[in-house]
Amino acid sequence: MKKVLFGLYNDDTELLDAIKGANDAGLDIMDVYTPFPVHGLDDVMGLSESRLHQAGFIYGALGTMTALGVMTWVFTRDWPIIFGGKPYFSFPAFVPITFELTVLFASVGMVLTFYIVCGLGPFAKANVLHDRITDDKFCIAFDTSNMSQVDVEKYAAFLDSSGAAEIHTKDI
Amino acid sequence: MEQQFTFTGRQKTLFLILMVIGAVCLGLTYMTDGTPHHARFWTNFLHNSVFFTGISFIGLYWLAAHTLGYSGWHVGLKRVMEAMTLFLPIGLLLLLVIAAGVWGHWHHLYHWAEKGITDPTQPNYDALIAGKAALLNPMTYTVVTIAVVLVWTAIAYKIRQLSLKEDTDRDVRYYKSMKLWAAILLPIGAFSSAFCIWLWIMSIDSHWYSTMFAWYTSASWLVSAMCILTLIVLYLRGQGYLGHLNKHHIHDLGKYVFAFSIFWTYVWFSQFMLIWYANVGEETIYFRNRMDNFPVLFYGNIVINFLLPFFVLMRNSTKWKTGSLVFICVFVLFGHWIDFFQMIKPGIWESLSHAAHGHGGGHAEMPAFMMGFHFPGLLEVGTFLGFLGLFLYFVFSRMAKASLIPVNDPYLPESLHYHG
Repeated sequence: MKKVLFGLYNDDTELLDAIKGANDAGLDIMDVYTPFPVHGLDDVMGLSESRLHQAGFIYGALGTMTALGVMTWVFTRDWPIIFGGKPYFSFPAFVPITFELTVLFASVGMVLTFYIVCGLGPFAKANVLHDRITDDKFCIAFDTSNMSQVDVEKYAAFLDSSGAAEIHTKDI
Repeated sequence: MEQQFTFTGRQKTLFLILMVIGAVCLGLTYMTDGTPHHARFWTNFLHNSVFFTGISFIGLYWLAAHTLGYSGWHVGLKRVMEAMTLFLPIGLLLLLVIAAGVWGHWHHLYHWAEKGITDPTQPNYDALIAGKAALLNPMTYTVVTIAVVLVWTAIAYKIRQLSLKEDTDRDVRYYKSMKLWAAILLPIGAFSSAFCIWLWIMSIDSHWYSTMFAWYTSASWLVSAMCILTLIVLYLRGQGYLGHLNKHHIHDLGKYVFAFSIFWTYVWFSQFMLIWYANVGEETIYFRNRMDNFPVLFYGNIVINFLLPFFVLMRNSTKWKTGSLVFICVFVLFGHWIDFFQMIKPGIWESLSHAAHGHGGGHAEMPAFMMGFHFPGLLEVGTFLGFLGLFLYFVFSRMAKASLIPVNDPYLPESLHYHG
């Protein structure tokens, strides 16, 4: 259970300015929620590059090896058949399937990884701080679970001074 | 906002030196090649003319596709591409030399151009070529080359003119008019370039044909044009121009080089696999010749044009970092030049070998390795540098004639604020 203090802003420029202000003031932002992707948000939040594509490369390589391995085993060991006078191990004929499985493994693997990392999926319960974040409000959230009352007031004062239209607290 | 590019004396001297190197290499090739009908000289001339004309055409196509597709990001660098399209009339002149050679029998690039080849009473009668005579004859070759490249040139100049007028007269009608011309060019360009590729390159292997060939060749042009565009843009940035472009514009150019390299591989392999699988002798002969007699070119082509850009540009950062991008663009540009080399040279070598065996009249046996056929020699590299110098001289002088930033383009603000 986390006690979250959050402010809702009216547009994305106000949000970006507020994040910069929070960084300057040394405040520790838990997360930022927006109704659409905001350009430049990653940079001001100092987020490191996603490692999802590295996972994608590994899944893709697995797909390549699976396809080549299975086809080679089937057509040279398990059940060798001559197709169209070609040798058992006909690399050009394996390429399209290798390509397909590489793409399939990489894309499905990345989607599943993304779902797991983000806690998404069917039957997953979404923790939405405030309904209007999914519509037209931009939210900066602070985790106040382990903060003294003085600190919480300092954070709330920051939200107020940086132009937040609404300030709320919620336990998630 | 305007940014004027100056074509400095140093750049001019450099390009002129390159052109002189090219001219000297062409001359030396003509005098020393020792092949029948100066085959090495003429193949080099055709190879580079087609390569750079194609790059210029792709510049036009790229410009038209982006204009018609409501693209915003490309506006900040579109003047570079515009300048590249204006090389087309020079390309036409170069190709007219080849066409004149077809009429005058100066060269033996095209077996179908031989005297009496479609005449059943002649000893060199060739039934397959006679069947294709409606397409493969000097008249069609010349008329198609002139008509098609002239249409490209006309549209390129029209789009350039509209773009320049927009600079002085802030009115959206120029943009709309550019869109119309772009819409006219795209279908015409797509079909006519295929026609030209059949005549200029595919008809070298006169008996052979492939429906994938035009795709594959234009994909090769596409990657080459992207590499040259990226290199020019990075060079200009190094010289202090194009400061309004940010990391994301460069990243997009890197993505283009990466994506079109994969596209090229896709069409290359599609052509290869269909022919390999069907295993029809008339078709496989094309690859048999290349795999058996030109293995370095054939396999090197895949390594340099697929494996290298695929693995280097796969990472995010290598697509926008200057060092890695320059490295890849130089290699891949050269790689696609090699690709055209292996489209043209083996077919000529094959027909020279046939002539040596078949007629036996004074021709010596063709050696298994010939510099300039099985591998590009210094003369080929020098010729390439010469044509590159000519191309760049023209592009840079056209770039210097207008602001590098199209100040009144309606999508300029979007390009300036571009964020991948």
